Amino acid sequence: MNAIEVEQLSRSFNGLQAVKSISFTVEAGEIFGFLGHNGAGKTTTIRMLSGQLLPTSGSARVAGCDVITEQQKLKPLIGVVSEHQNLYERMSGRENLEFAVRLYGQSLSRIDETLEQVALLDRAKDNVRGYSNGMKQRLVIARALLHRPQIIFLDEPTRGLDPVVGREIRQLILGLAQQGVTIFLTTHYMEEADQLCGRVAFLSEGRIVALDTPNNLKVAHGEKAVKVTLNDGQSLSIALTDPDAGQQLEKLINDGQVRTMHSAEATLEQVFLQIAGRELSE
Amino acid sequence: MNLGVIAAITRKDVIDAIRNRYLLTALMTPLFVAILFRVLLPGINKSDLLKVVVHDSGNSTLISEMRKVPQIGIVDAGSAEATESEVQKRNAIGGLVVPVNFDSDVAAGKQPELKIYVNNKKSVFEQMGFRRLLDQQVRALVKTPEPARFTWIDVDKEASKQSPGGLGLEQMLLPLLLIMTLGMIGAMVVPLLLVEEKEKRTLDFLLASPASLKEIIAGKALTGVGYTVLIAGLLLVVNRQLIGNWPLVVLTILLGLVFVVAVGVFMGSLLNNTMQVNTWAGTVLIVLMAPSFPSLGLPAALDTAMRFVPTYYLTEALKMSLAGNVTSTIWRHLGVLVACSLIAFVAAVWALRRRQLV
Repeated sequence: MNAIEVEQLSRSFNGLQAVKSISFTVEAGEIFGFLGHNGAGKTTTIRMLSGQLLPTSGSARVAGCDVITEQQKLKPLIGVVSEHQNLYERMSGRENLEFAVRLYGQSLSRIDETLEQVALLDRAKDNVRGYSNGMKQRLVIARALLHRPQIIFLDEPTRGLDPVVGREIRQLILGLAQQGVTIFLTTHYMEEADQLCGRVAFLSEGRIVALDTPNNLKVAHGEKAVKVTLNDGQSLSIALTDPDAGQQLEKLINDGQVRTMHSAEATLEQVFLQIAGRELSE
Repeated sequence: MNLGVIAAITRKDVIDAIRNRYLLTALMTPLFVAILFRVLLPGINKSDLLKVVVHDSGNSTLISEMRKVPQIGIVDAGSAEATESEVQKRNAIGGLVVPVNFDSDVAAGKQPELKIYVNNKKSVFEQMGFRRLLDQQVRALVKTPEPARFTWIDVDKEASKQSPGGLGLEQMLLPLLLIMTLGMIGAMVVPLLLVEEKEKRTLDFLLASPASLKEIIAGKALTGVGYTVLIAGLLLVVNRQLIGNWPLVVLTILLGLVFVVAVGVFMGSLLNNTMQVNTWAGTVLIVLMAPSFPSLGLPAALDTAMRFVPTYYLTEALKMSLAGNVTSTIWRHLGVLVACSLIAFVAAVWALRRRQLV
């Protein structure tokens, strides 16, 4: 069953097309990566799919709801973690969640449960202004989880966080997926996408230029070569497209010169560069 | 509209506003000014009648209308010549000599002369109140800008020491404070509540939640309404002795509130950050409050210009309702205010659409 179905979705701002006729589906319970450089249209897509912005053309169904005509029905079914840590900083962590609970018409008892889930229960009464970046990010995620959404949109959830907190957030995301929550993730970090996502879509200039599993993309677009490290420390890269590659490898092995040998798999970053023609961080 | 969502937003804003120093300053300013005036000028607490000596041999409409104003006590002088001495003898705020054919001359556009004595022993505020009151009363007679010529005559010019106390100041001060409260809501509170959500990106969270933009705006507006009711209510209760017609005063404030909330939504839609609101709020506040400032001796052009500011009609309606002066003029003022509110709301919707918030 598809949690998200997008068909020819476009959005323009003052004549400038930010998203150009994109189509894809996301299965329920899947972690779907939406990768692209700055200004590629990732956030605009999330805003359209979460009912914050009307598309210029095309259609999309999220959690079975039409994003154009059924926005109010859709919103309680989804959670959105914005790329900004958009919290009310003069309020405490608990007050932020209390406000969200009231907006979603949930029970106040959910607050402690959710704070515990993100390990913030002991700092709940503190003013958000005094939180670290990691704590703020965990609170933003907690707020998005309060109403037990079917689908959660995470826009750059680990950007600017230290590696330890980043790992904690990734664990949290994996935990949510195991509970059956569909995750729509945008990120700049290719290793993160590689580690978390079942499938990824590459977005460039508002268009989807590739969509597949990270492995398939790497195999299809990566370098077809074997990296060999010799006993004397020298490294060789033998292109598998070379007709003599087999003989070369056989000789090295027979001569006992090979210390290690592995496939020279491309990274997602390299695949993106190859497909989109530009760096992801541009 | 989901009332639970609106209530949640209002509740959050009411609590959050107290912690926001800009909003807190805006909200507390009218109360602070009121307290300041009471501390510096304790005499304004008095609620004496504004005693006016009158010689009106022609039984003019002007004087019969003035007799209806609860805050004015008319004392009849035996003759035109005795008016000045009666002002001093009775310690009145002033005196008035009305020509015999005053009504017919005004109707004919002849601008008859009104000889007005002002008691210099009274406080400057009382004198200003008296001047303003006369100006209003005469203008209320006909629609022409200058129905009569005023000849002001000072009584006891040597009087240098102003005696404290008396009515007049609060008659001007209370409308001024009420307009200031409404102005703060329109120029500062509602725009800041909206702009902060944009600036801190919390609007994205709200728009992704079950709250619609209409509910978000309604929640913000309700916060403004709540704070106005609280502050204006306090001002009214403290000055309850000055209120001539409670229902009309409340109605006038509510209509004024509708107008300023629309202005606030308009500003909040156009502006993007707190700095911009702080920059514009002062200008907007001055424009909104200008008609409520004691404004005697203004050049005719400036006085006419005031009539293009919607709060002119709010100020006039407030003064009339506070004085219990219910005439067709007040309904005309309130009608203009409603029309201005509609225009402001149309502008606010336009601004929201322009910023692609809807």
